[in-house]
Amino acid sequence: MNEITPGFPAVAAASAPRSAARVGVGGPVGSGKTALLEQLIPRFTARGTNLAVITNDIATKEDAERVRRTSLLAPERVLAVETGACPHSAIREDPTLNMQSADELDRTFPGLELILIESGGDNLASSFSLDLVDFWMFVIDVAGGDDIPRKRGLGVLSCDLLVINKTDLAPYVRSDLDRMLREANEVRGGRPVLTTNCHTGEGVDAVMEHIAREVLFDR
Amino acid sequence: MSDLSGAMALLQLGDSFFPSGAASFSWGLETLRAEGHLARAGDVEAFLAGQIRLRWATFDRPVVLASHRAHGDLEVVAAVDREADAATLAREAREGGRRIGAALLRVHAGLGTPGAASYRDRVASGHAPGQLAAVQGLAGFGCGLSESATCALSAYGVGVAIVSAALRVGLLGHLDGQRILSRCRPLAVEVAAGPPAGIESLHAYTPMAEIAMMRHEVGTGRLFAN
Repeated sequence: MNEITPGFPAVAAASAPRSAARVGVGGPVGSGKTALLEQLIPRFTARGTNLAVITNDIATKEDAERVRRTSLLAPERVLAVETGACPHSAIREDPTLNMQSADELDRTFPGLELILIESGGDNLASSFSLDLVDFWMFVIDVAGGDDIPRKRGLGVLSCDLLVINKTDLAPYVRSDLDRMLREANEVRGGRPVLTTNCHTGEGVDAVMEHIAREVLFDR
Repeated sequence: MSDLSGAMALLQLGDSFFPSGAASFSWGLETLRAEGHLARAGDVEAFLAGQIRLRWATFDRPVVLASHRAHGDLEVVAAVDREADAATLAREAREGGRRIGAALLRVHAGLGTPGAASYRDRVASGHAPGQLAAVQGLAGFGCGLSESATCALSAYGVGVAIVSAALRVGLLGHLDGQRILSRCRPLAVEVAAGPPAGIESLHAYTPMAEIAMMRHEVGTGRLFAN
């Protein structure tokens, strides 16, 4: 809380000094966005990154609670934004409440370096406002169908990093992971694509290192 | 501002595409729906009519007008703003008004609306609460809108907030939503024709909505922020 509160708790109406990089994590419901956060948070913590998380809930605060429960983050470093059943709008057309929450975190935790903003679960056409984030990832998974990359959804095409999760499930859901990767690279014109198994943590180090390199500049 | 320019400005500022975070707030409707008090489109219409007659007319409108009539004097706006904040009992209503007000201020400051950046700084430093209705009056004046246009914007915002929330929780379809907005328009015009209450006598009587917002604070499974 600010020192100057002569009666009213300060709402983040103004942009706080931007110390923290803001990274969006989008993708379809069930693709593993929260699982990826659960894997990333301890890695960033071990790396010494000063970190906070915002979740955009569709129906409950479950994701925020899950992150709080399973991560090394203090509860006050995890904020949940209710989106009024408009998760797309809250990260793109009208990101004002997410920006307000990010500013609040910046102000509450001086020296904050990274805010991970998880979307509420999207379809393939979702994307993040560039007023809200500096960098964003789109998480898809093999169980959602190996045709997802070639559908050329906006999220797959325009994200800064595409993550294909649940690689271990490919043989069980008749998905051709090699083809998925090949087509993802084709439609993205060679922009970054990484694979993960967030159940075991396989591949998550590479995601963390990519974020650290691209937005933390190895701070 | 010409008639056409004014109309276009009003369309822009009143459009749900104009960012303010308003879509995250249901003003008690989510809880009333969940607890069975609102079950069909007719209930939503009655709820909205009550909000216009018993809250907007006697509370929001006087605040919007007083803030607009401050003509950019931020001390006056802040005094009105503080009254509005103090007179809002339910925490989620009070905090909702502050959050949307802050978001709206931020957008107007970014757009260069006169007075918005200075008032945003007051709010950010805790020197004013930044209630939505006070910000609407300030921004309406700053954008060159008339008093009546600014009031129309405020009333329409109440209607869209309620109807769109009702649509999203499955209480009505898109045509019913537009019918309700159309049918409630004459009511807003009627109550806007009278002299506004003074700031010293702000009042509202919407106990079901306020109690619903109080219950919402501890509810689980929330789509909305109030």
